[in-house]
Amino acid sequence: MDENPGLSDQYRTSSPWPVFVAFGFVISEVGILFGLFPVAVGGLLMFCGSLAGLVHEAGYASTPWRMLAALAVVFLAAGGALATTDVAATRGYAILVAAGILLVGAVVGELVVDSGPTPV
Amino acid sequence: MAAVNGELALTVLMGLLLVGVAAWLARVENWRSYTPLGSGGVYGGETGQAHHEKPSGLTRWLTTVDHKDIGIMYGLYGVIAFLIGGAMVMVMRAELLDPGATLISNTFYNSLLTSHGITMLFLFGTPIIAAFSNYFIPLLIGADDMAFPRINAIAFWLLPPGALLIWAGFFPIPNLIPAQTAWTMYTPLSAGVGGGNQANAGVDLMLLGLHLTGVSATMGSINFIATIITERAEEVTWANLDIFSWTILTQSGLILFAFPLLGSALLMLVLDRNFGTTFFVNDAGGAILWQHLFWFFGHPEVYILVLPPMGIVSLLIPRFSGRRLFGFKFVVYSTLAIGVLSFGVWAHHMFATGIDPRLRASFMAVSMAIAIPSAVKTFNWMTTMWNGKLRLTTPMLFCIGFVQNFIIGGITGVFLASIPVDLVLHDTYYVVGHFHFIVMGAIAFAGFAAMYYWFPLVSGRMYQRTLGKAHFWLWIVGSNITFFAMVLLGYGGMPRRYATYLPQFATLHQIASLGAFLMVIGGLIWLYNFVVSYFEGPVVTDGDPWNLKEYNLYTGEWEWFDRKLKTTITDGGDEEVATDGGLHGPVGAETADATDSDDSGRAMDANDE
Ligand code: HEM
Ligand SMILES: [Cu+2]
Repeated sequence: MDENPGLSDQYRTSSPWPVFVAFGFVISEVGILFGLFPVAVGGLLMFCGSLAGLVHEAGYASTPWRMLAALAVVFLAAGGALATTDVAATRGYAILVAAGILLVGAVVGELVVDSGPTPV
Repeated sequence: MAAVNGELALTVLMGLLLVGVAAWLARVENWRSYTPLGSGGVYGGETGQAHHEKPSGLTRWLTTVDHKDIGIMYGLYGVIAFLIGGAMVMVMRAELLDPGATLISNTFYNSLLTSHGITMLFLFGTPIIAAFSNYFIPLLIGADDMAFPRINAIAFWLLPPGALLIWAGFFPIPNLIPAQTAWTMYTPLSAGVGGGNQANAGVDLMLLGLHLTGVSATMGSINFIATIITERAEEVTWANLDIFSWTILTQSGLILFAFPLLGSALLMLVLDRNFGTTFFVNDAGGAILWQHLFWFFGHPEVYILVLPPMGIVSLLIPRFSGRRLFGFKFVVYSTLAIGVLSFGVWAHHMFATGIDPRLRASFMAVSMAIAIPSAVKTFNWMTTMWNGKLRLTTPMLFCIGFVQNFIIGGITGVFLASIPVDLVLHDTYYVVGHFHFIVMGAIAFAGFAAMYYWFPLVSGRMYQRTLGKAHFWLWIVGSNITFFAMVLLGYGGMPRRYATYLPQFATLHQIASLGAFLMVIGGLIWLYNFVVSYFEGPVVTDGDPWNLKEYNLYTGEWEWFDRKLKTTITDGGDEEVATDGGLHGPVGAETADATDSDDSGRAMDANDE
């Protein structure tokens, strides 16, 4: 990616991820609490996606995909637990759906994007 | 059918949002540019401005992880919250001009009361302190930036959505009403049980928003602890660490223990409200449990808010007294002592609840003990000024105002700490007077002292001194009128948190409103002064606008400012000019003469006397 530097490579004091980590956190909190299925899913995707992007960018991981998978596993467990309850089953399903999408994303990323010829 | 449509619309909306974010990220992360990568070896703080620090425009502010930018955003955020919280209280003070409910309904009064308190404490108080600590701690201790710049940015970006959630009840959204729980959120009212209207989702949103500000504060505190411990320049030792950093370090420790507890208690409350848990159910003692949890957070919170302002005052008073801080060590020790003791006094807010009298007595003893380190500081500020070469600049005036108001606030606090006195005065305006002398009279005063003091550094320009003085005098007179009237109202037995009152209290309430009105005028003068001076004030060309070198009291952040003046074009110190279009070459020794070529910069005499 060197010949095509991104914002965060180019400007030392910039990173596009924090703002979306924060917003994703907020959106998923609101979505889960009020049982707004799409909002919960979308918020979690935004939160986990940008968290993985941030960890990758900060140099703690060489690719974002494993981090994404790890987050997916955590939320699979949490969503699975919630789904078995009476009061919050739908919320649990929302978390499960988000975790599933994240897991697929992580696998695709690992297999396709990083081994493909031109990274996006 | 409608529900399904709504769900569908939400899904589409969410999908579009995510696609939009992904597209923006892809675009921004592929930012193609003419500058080679990896040139950013030197940091701006060391040699002036590295050339390509930040992108331009809105993107810069959305993506910045620079502690100075984040400090500015915190400051702007805090000021906006202060204006909104101030507007809320002015509606209340207008309502209180006469005994009946003439202007607004009682429920709306309660909503404003709740929101005013939460806004001022969590959306103004904590952020305005974070503004100064973010901008100046790294400069004061010679660090390149915060230890975790990205976490710093996340912590800030949690705040704007937090504010929207806290205020959501006021927005014209169907079926949503503002919380009326007061800032203490006592159960069972806040649990939404019973016949009231507090089961409304507006309360849940407020609790969530509060939770977010707590997460934000916790992230910030971890960052400050790590920064102050690990990122100090070699010459900055524990022995010569400045007083502001000490207070921020202590404050961060308090946040670390207090805020996660608030966060958990809030979540428990949310669970009680929405998922049928029974943490705070009344007949099992839940109401008292909430009070214990809340005040175990709440009392440290008031010291979280007051310690850094004390640090600011301890930093500024010596600079305008021409001598070093008297008893520096003791000021540090008393800061640490307050930090520890502040966790042992929470039940002084619960003297009237019928808790065990033996417990009560021990909390009374510790509460009285905490007055000692507070008094130590007060005497140190006074002895620093004693026989000093006082320069009554605007920041100095605000610091002296801090000391005056803090004395009254502290002494009224000691009276409240005495159980028999508290049983009479609890839940009266006396308590309101007590804490306003401190939160407005001291904390906000110190915040404004700091804004005036560092205005030239941040904006590169000087404010209008006469207006600054007018602001101060309106505030010191206004705050004493308002809050002293409240103390007297409390002696008279006027209970707090009421929109209406008995006719005998009318005069004192009107006097309190008059003082508040004076403060509004002062605040508007401040706003005008800062906005106009930011764009048109005389350019600061001297790296030592307060003549600190003369007294040997120069500090790191001004050194940094001086270097910056010498290495950038002095057009007001706007770094963007240098970064946006790459107008001038890499900064180095050869551009150091840029300062001299600026002949329009009126050398200003910033003694401000
Ligand atoms: C000198 C040390 C202090 C003592 C001994 C003290 C004591 C007290 C006591 C006993 C109360 C409870 C009154 C009641 O509700 O009946 C109280 C209330 C309060 N104090 Fe202080 N205080 C001190 C300093 C401070 C400081 C430094 C702050 C702020 C930074 C502060 C902020 C508050 C607030 C906000 C309340 C009201 C809480 C509420 O809404 O009920 N106090 N204080
Ligand atoms: Cu207290």
